Amino acid sequence: MKQIIINLETQDIKALEKAGEKDEIEKASRESVVKQMEEGKALITGSSGSGSNEAFALIIDGKSLTYALEDDFKKKFLDLATGCASVICCRSSPKQKSLVTRLVKTGTGKTTLAIGDGANDVGMLQEADIGVGISGVEGMQAVMSSDIAIAQFRYLERLLLVHGHWCYSRISSMICYFFYKNITFGVTVFLYEAYTSFSAQPAYNDWFLSLFNVFFSSLPVIALGVFDQDVSARFCYKFPLLYQEGVQNLLFSWKRIIGWMLNGLMTALAIFFICKESLKHQLYNPNGKTAGREILGGTMYTCVVWVVNLQMALAISYFTWVQHIVIWGSVAFWYIFLMIYGAMAPSFSTDAYKVFIEALAPAPSYWLTTLFVMILALIPYFVFKSVQMRFFPGYHQMIQWIRYEGHSNDPEFVEMVRQRSIRPTTVGFTARRAASVRRSGRFHDQLNKNFIAF
Amino acid sequence: MSTNTASSSAATAGSGDSSGARKNSKRPKYSKFTQQELPACKPILTPGWVISTFLIVSVIFIPLGVISLFASQDVVEIVDRYDNDCIPTPARTNKVAYIQGGGDKACNRTLRVTKRMKQPVYVYYQLENFYQNHRRYVKSRSDSQLRSPKYENQISACKPEDDVGGQPIVPCGLIAWSLFNDTYTLSRNNTRLAVNKKGIAWKSDKEHKFGNKVFPKNFQKGNLIGGATLDPNISLSEQEDLIVWMRTAALPTFRKLYGKIETDLEIGDTIDVLLQNNYNTYSFSGKKKLVLSTTSWLGGKNDFLGIAYLTVGGICFFLALAFTIMYLVKPRRLGDPSYLSWNRNPGGR
Repeated sequence: MKQIIINLETQDIKALEKAGEKDEIEKASRESVVKQMEEGKALITGSSGSGSNEAFALIIDGKSLTYALEDDFKKKFLDLATGCASVICCRSSPKQKSLVTRLVKTGTGKTTLAIGDGANDVGMLQEADIGVGISGVEGMQAVMSSDIAIAQFRYLERLLLVHGHWCYSRISSMICYFFYKNITFGVTVFLYEAYTSFSAQPAYNDWFLSLFNVFFSSLPVIALGVFDQDVSARFCYKFPLLYQEGVQNLLFSWKRIIGWMLNGLMTALAIFFICKESLKHQLYNPNGKTAGREILGGTMYTCVVWVVNLQMALAISYFTWVQHIVIWGSVAFWYIFLMIYGAMAPSFSTDAYKVFIEALAPAPSYWLTTLFVMILALIPYFVFKSVQMRFFPGYHQMIQWIRYEGHSNDPEFVEMVRQRSIRPTTVGFTARRAASVRRSGRFHDQLNKNFIAF
Repeated sequence: MSTNTASSSAATAGSGDSSGARKNSKRPKYSKFTQQELPACKPILTPGWVISTFLIVSVIFIPLGVISLFASQDVVEIVDRYDNDCIPTPARTNKVAYIQGGGDKACNRTLRVTKRMKQPVYVYYQLENFYQNHRRYVKSRSDSQLRSPKYENQISACKPEDDVGGQPIVPCGLIAWSLFNDTYTLSRNNTRLAVNKKGIAWKSDKEHKFGNKVFPKNFQKGNLIGGATLDPNISLSEQEDLIVWMRTAALPTFRKLYGKIETDLEIGDTIDVLLQNNYNTYSFSGKKKLVLSTTSWLGGKNDFLGIAYLTVGGICFFLALAFTIMYLVKPRRLGDPSYLSWNRNPGGR
């Protein structure tokens, strides 16, 4: 790697320092630093112009940094630094560290991560978007002012590749699902309004309305946001490119959000209209009694709870005992709640009094309607996911296929997947270079070999 | 190796409590739960799963659809709309005036039985365009008053039908006030057909929501009479018509149980209905219909569930076939990274 060194150790500067004139020293130092910066920049532009894609490293010391960080020259310094593959600022003071971080943060608009272990890193840690403190020999100062604390520097790899990726994937799934479930629930209530001449009579009992987001659909979402793993830790290490899913915001794009919302809307339409049609003439029971509002509400609500939880089961791909308990438990709890609430005195349970035991459970049409709605509401998503999984898989889904097919233990295959997936402009400079060399060179034969073998 | 470095740095960091007892690390105790390494099941949607799911769904749904459809086809239903025809021709220009005026409102209707109806045959009245699910209407009742005589004065929710001349109305509220009051007397071949009006209300209502010590008081004594009157000597738990009416309906078109006929009706029977056309649905263009229906294990005559099951079962079967063809015709080598979106347009997203 070619090094661009900016320092103030030249002869003339040293001579001036001996002479002792403050203003003169400053002026000369400033000029020297600016000149060196411009030379470095010319070097970089020259190299990229000729298309050689060479990697550069910038090395600058604390004294020069004082001048480089002045308002007039900040931009130049930033341009130079971002054109290099690595930048080393040695002998810098804590203030300079935080100033450099701020410069990069505001100048490039990207997310910055700072890691440090000593008290002199505190300014930098607080300035960066993410500050990682290392607890250890230098004390707990860094840890106390950081966002995340780790014990050793090498844990940073796990922090970013495993937990960073998981965090992104979990949060984006959780938010999309949350919108979905509330839209499903709310739109059924809204659709019923059209049949009550918009008088604001809810389709469900008041307690049902209040407890939907508390008991019957909250725990699965929490389990999704806390425990879900789309790809196991081992594979996050093996395929570091999974991290790029977060950087390029592939899982929380507008397409995905709107897609989930539309899914919720369609589900709500299916639930409402099927339940309404099957109870159209209110003769739903062999004993001849008619279905009132509480029966329509109870049927629709059961369908909503089932559909929303089954959708969760379809959306996640990682089932431990936690997920099983929360998903199936939420559904079971709905029935238990119906029975308990229905058993309370009518002064409290009003129209839900004994609605399950007396009116809903003995009627086969209730169970048939629930089963039908469950399956119908999930068919669109199921079809979509099958097609996507097979023909348009995302990167983490490809890793899932690799794991499923057992190719994950084949180092050549793994290497091929990694190399062919490296996108030219996003991964680090040296890695890019190495990748392009390997891609055009000896790996070509390997690739052909692998294709024929499969 | 990592434990040692961690422990040495921890020791030199000067943690007060380490001393001699444990010179070990501060590493937290390992557990599968906290390290997120629980034994897990990680299913993915392989072609096998997709096709078999669709096939299973269609195999379950199609027979269910068939039996539902058969059940619905077995049900015999006679529907007769009478609200327009039961107004004598001269009064048809101003129906509201006719219905609100006094006089005998008897009307004769004839129903023909086209298929054998096994007992019990249920008699319903069907109202249309009547929003029993309107919020103000639904709230206009006092459940505590219905249950027990000591809450007679809890009438605040029942406005405007809460009291008359300072005395509370029992049962108060718009729902009770608008009680349906058409009556039907059925006869077949000039013999009376007994319509059993007992046991038409839900048991939980009769026993727990409508008290047997509560009697109607000051009912329909106001300026405006909304519907039927109630016999003040019969307790509310025996007034089954009221109980059925007060279970508010879900939709603007609804049926309510009037009674049961406990004899079979043979094919070709002519049922004569002498009905009293009392209830005013003319001021809001509502419709009134008389319905006679048998029930099956699935309920009344509603083909919807059967047809829906058959349709979805068919769609799933078709989808299973479509997916089989798709997977056979276009078998992609799974896990092929050349299909990644980044690689398909290199350099751009």
